[in-house]
Amino acid sequence: MLNLLLLLDIVPGPANAATPVPETPQGPWMGFAYFGFCAVLAVVGAIATVASPNPIRGAMGLLLMIISIAGLFLALHAQFIAAIQVIVYAGAIVVLFLFVIMLLGSDAQTPSDQRGRIPRFGAAALFAGLGLAALTLLGRTMAKPKLPGDVGSDFGSIDSIGKVLFTDMLVPFEISSALLIVAVVGAIAVARGKHGELAEKGALNK
Amino acid sequence: MLLQAFAISPLLMVGIGAMLLMMAEAFSKVRGGLALGAAAVCFAGVACAAGVWMYGVETIPGIDAFSPWLRVDRFSLFFDALLCLGAGLSCLMAGGYLPEHNLDRGEFYSLLLLSTFGAMILSAAGDVLTLFLGLETMSLGVYCLAAFRRASARSSEGALKYFLLGSFAAALLLYGFALLYGVTGHTDLQGIGDAMAKGNIRNPMAIMGLVLILVGLAFKVSAVPFHMWTPDAYEGAPTPATNFMAVAVKGAAFAMMLRVLLTAFGDPRSASWASGWPPALAWIAVITMTVANLVAGRQESVKRMLAYSSVAHAGYILVGMVATMHSATQASAGVLFYLLTYTVSTAGAFGALILCGRRGAEAVTYEDLAGIGRRHPAAALPFAFFLLSLAGVPPTAGFFGKWFVFRSAMEGGFYWLTIIAFINSVIGAYYYLRVLVFMYMREPAAGAPVATPMRSGYVTAALILSAVLVIALGLTPTKSLSVVFQAAAIFGG
Repeated sequence: MLNLLLLLDIVPGPANAATPVPETPQGPWMGFAYFGFCAVLAVVGAIATVASPNPIRGAMGLLLMIISIAGLFLALHAQFIAAIQVIVYAGAIVVLFLFVIMLLGSDAQTPSDQRGRIPRFGAAALFAGLGLAALTLLGRTMAKPKLPGDVGSDFGSIDSIGKVLFTDMLVPFEISSALLIVAVVGAIAVARGKHGELAEKGALNK
Repeated sequence: MLLQAFAISPLLMVGIGAMLLMMAEAFSKVRGGLALGAAAVCFAGVACAAGVWMYGVETIPGIDAFSPWLRVDRFSLFFDALLCLGAGLSCLMAGGYLPEHNLDRGEFYSLLLLSTFGAMILSAAGDVLTLFLGLETMSLGVYCLAAFRRASARSSEGALKYFLLGSFAAALLLYGFALLYGVTGHTDLQGIGDAMAKGNIRNPMAIMGLVLILVGLAFKVSAVPFHMWTPDAYEGAPTPATNFMAVAVKGAAFAMMLRVLLTAFGDPRSASWASGWPPALAWIAVITMTVANLVAGRQESVKRMLAYSSVAHAGYILVGMVATMHSATQASAGVLFYLLTYTVSTAGAFGALILCGRRGAEAVTYEDLAGIGRRHPAAALPFAFFLLSLAGVPPTAGFFGKWFVFRSAMEGGFYWLTIIAFINSVIGAYYYLRVLVFMYMREPAAGAPVATPMRSGYVTAALILSAVLVIALGLTPTKSLSVVFQAAAIFGG
């Protein structure tokens, strides 16, 4: 799908090291429009997620936001992260949410909020204040962030990530396979356990 | 190439052994030998670690091939052996416990071995990436072991608490590492340490990272006030799994703590009383010891008492951790020796608790154990012995463990901390001796349910092995002290 987008020239291709400036082949406006489109969609999706009273609509808003952010990653030439964003978040996590919503029934509602206005707005004000304080603290004390130097033209591409993953990072990559195995075996052990023990209990009762 | 494989042979042994056992469990109908096989894999891991140690791990050419991901040095070899020992003892206990309590499902052993593999990775990790992978491999396995008794609501409750709080702690740890990466631009501990030595510790983002990492570490070693999951998870899990959590998981968590604090935050400024982690750790140690000992004395369930006792022991070990700010090698050697004695004493106590009960007549509360010393002396004697070692009575191993940790704290000038720790170990003796009082000086109320000991060659073997080690460490600590000093020498200074 990514290659298709690249072919259609909707998405800026990998930056050429010789010509670092233009965002897209069509000039800066096209890139700006693309960014604006994705950003507005992401914000709309985020608001829909929080504000929608219907859980299904909330999940769909989340999906919209995730895909728009994947679009933003594409504009940053981070194809791999964009693909992972779509596969993991849109593919797996939103589907998980939908499963839970379906299990609960799509008309499941949280009981109406009994808390008064003061705690609610108080909490919002508290957290806004804390966030603001943290931001000013960081802004005052931190040195100006150094911009990363010239990264290669294939930085963040699937090729280069694959190369790093199977050479420099081979050890952690192999260890992560142990993590996956233990998760699978553990899930089976926990799920199968109930069956065996309860069946045996039933047999004892007879 | 072959020598490099030899250098990581403990890891390979446990990893490949776990795979083979998983296959054997899936494709064979024979149930009996799994515990023996798993224990054999673990003890082979101990043997491999000892072999690499004696060959001299420094002399192996190309040992840096795994760095910075994995540091193969005497420290990690010590922990390979320690964790494999704890896991092997748990496997032996499981060989008796699981069939007795009708939980004999083969996944237990593959989960336990994979979890041990993660713990070994954790103790060898020189980069936060491998550290996190090892931590999660270990923790995921243990969450599932804690939930192994699915028919018991208590087990599920404990496992869920453990899972949620453990994931939360892992997230905090990861957040801390992310902030440190933001400050230093490094993910390897040595690189972070070099950047911190240049004064980066004054950066508020680095302080925030250090605080988050300390909280995450305190969760993993179950220090108060981050211990809430411990009693429930320990009580709900099958006892061999509880033993694994108390021994191997805690050992690996302390290995991680030593490596992170002494490598990444080992510079004079970060490890100073005025501007570093030692005061935070000292206060955590004080609260941990005091709260755990006071609460442990009030428990009715022996297993829960042992859970709180393991929290209290984490407090004593933290005293030793604080002392590393003055003499990194000597104090961390004390911590390693304490972990060794704690491992064998705790494993023995849980093994004896398993031996004291059989299905339908388990040893759960103090009342269950009333008079067992007279009815079944052979089952009560090992329990009494290991409890004395946990209490730190000479000449058992527990005495020298406490002795070396307290001495390094004294030499570091932490007299008040040592006094608090000493008072606490006296309080601790109360609830250990209370078990002895019930076993030898009380009679059960008429008609009350009492524990009946089980018979199992596996559990007996685990008890004999731990008893031999407890006595050997208590009578001749010199040999093992030279081993822990060599292991701790990687921290220099």
